[in-house]
Amino acid sequence: MHDSFILRAGERGHGRYVSTGPNASYIAGHPDAVLTRQSSFNFHEYQSGRPGFGSVRVFGEEVFSGAGCGYNMHPHHDFAICAFVLQGELTHINTVGNIDQLHAGDYYVFSAGSGGKHSELNLRSEDMHAIYIWFLPNRLYLPPAYHRAHFDSLAHRNRLTELVGEAEGALPIPQDARVSRLVSDQPTETTYRPASRQHGVYAFVVEGSAQVQGTALGRRDSLGIWGVDAVPLQTGAGHNDLLIVETVM
Amino acid sequence: MSDEPFKRHLCLGCGFLYDEQLGLPEHGIPAGTRWADIPDDWVCPDCGTPKSGFEMVEIPYADGQPARALRA
Repeated sequence: MHDSFILRAGERGHGRYVSTGPNASYIAGHPDAVLTRQSSFNFHEYQSGRPGFGSVRVFGEEVFSGAGCGYNMHPHHDFAICAFVLQGELTHINTVGNIDQLHAGDYYVFSAGSGGKHSELNLRSEDMHAIYIWFLPNRLYLPPAYHRAHFDSLAHRNRLTELVGEAEGALPIPQDARVSRLVSDQPTETTYRPASRQHGVYAFVVEGSAQVQGTALGRRDSLGIWGVDAVPLQTGAGHNDLLIVETVM
Repeated sequence: MSDEPFKRHLCLGCGFLYDEQLGLPEHGIPAGTRWADIPDDWVCPDCGTPKSGFEMVEIPYADGQPARALRA
């Protein structure tokens, strides 16, 4: 028995936050910074969608616009927070001891565990675009950890590459979950094989378009499916970019 | 006292954990206070998310955690 859902780009939760007024302590930047968030799953005031997918509780596309825009230093516990920078520069300061600057292709996994704080800022004039994914961990109050890496889309073009998980070169995460990416510049057919039928696959089209499990998805559309052995992925000509999240359900 | 096992609730805004067994004595909630007995207008002490924005979780603690309970 398998099940699936399709979430079109325009059906996601939309949030827009300015750095003045009631959110001044939450949103960094002044005076004209604007942060937008498109949420695939329920998050903060967006509560009319899906509550999550397996261990995933947040899948958000965010844009930080304006001088110093981002999130001021704030606390977390337990969530394993991943950010994949698509465009611009993200300055990430965290209490594991890192002051990191990430650019297009860079990504991190910040496992808050027993407690950590972080701040995320766009210090440039160019907008910063990123995808954020939050996973519940498989143990509570683990030691906090921070890992970062770079995805070289040219070197890995036209094939699936595991960015987060157990694969060599992937960043570790304290959950039965994986994040992979497929960037293609020519028609590509491949198959994503989850670890078991108890694992679900959430495919998100970052750029371009794709056929996932036979369903046509456009830019920022997504599809979740579980209870299957394999998920066929197909892209056409031109530039296409997919993020594939696998999680125990 | 209820015989129900103690439960844990996690804030979906930031990950803050409320463990019924531990309570939050530093916030005036004694150890053993059930989630149902926490006022509906209570909010996450770390991020302000309302009580309705927590999720009951059955995730085990890491080895050696929660340190606070082990000290008691």
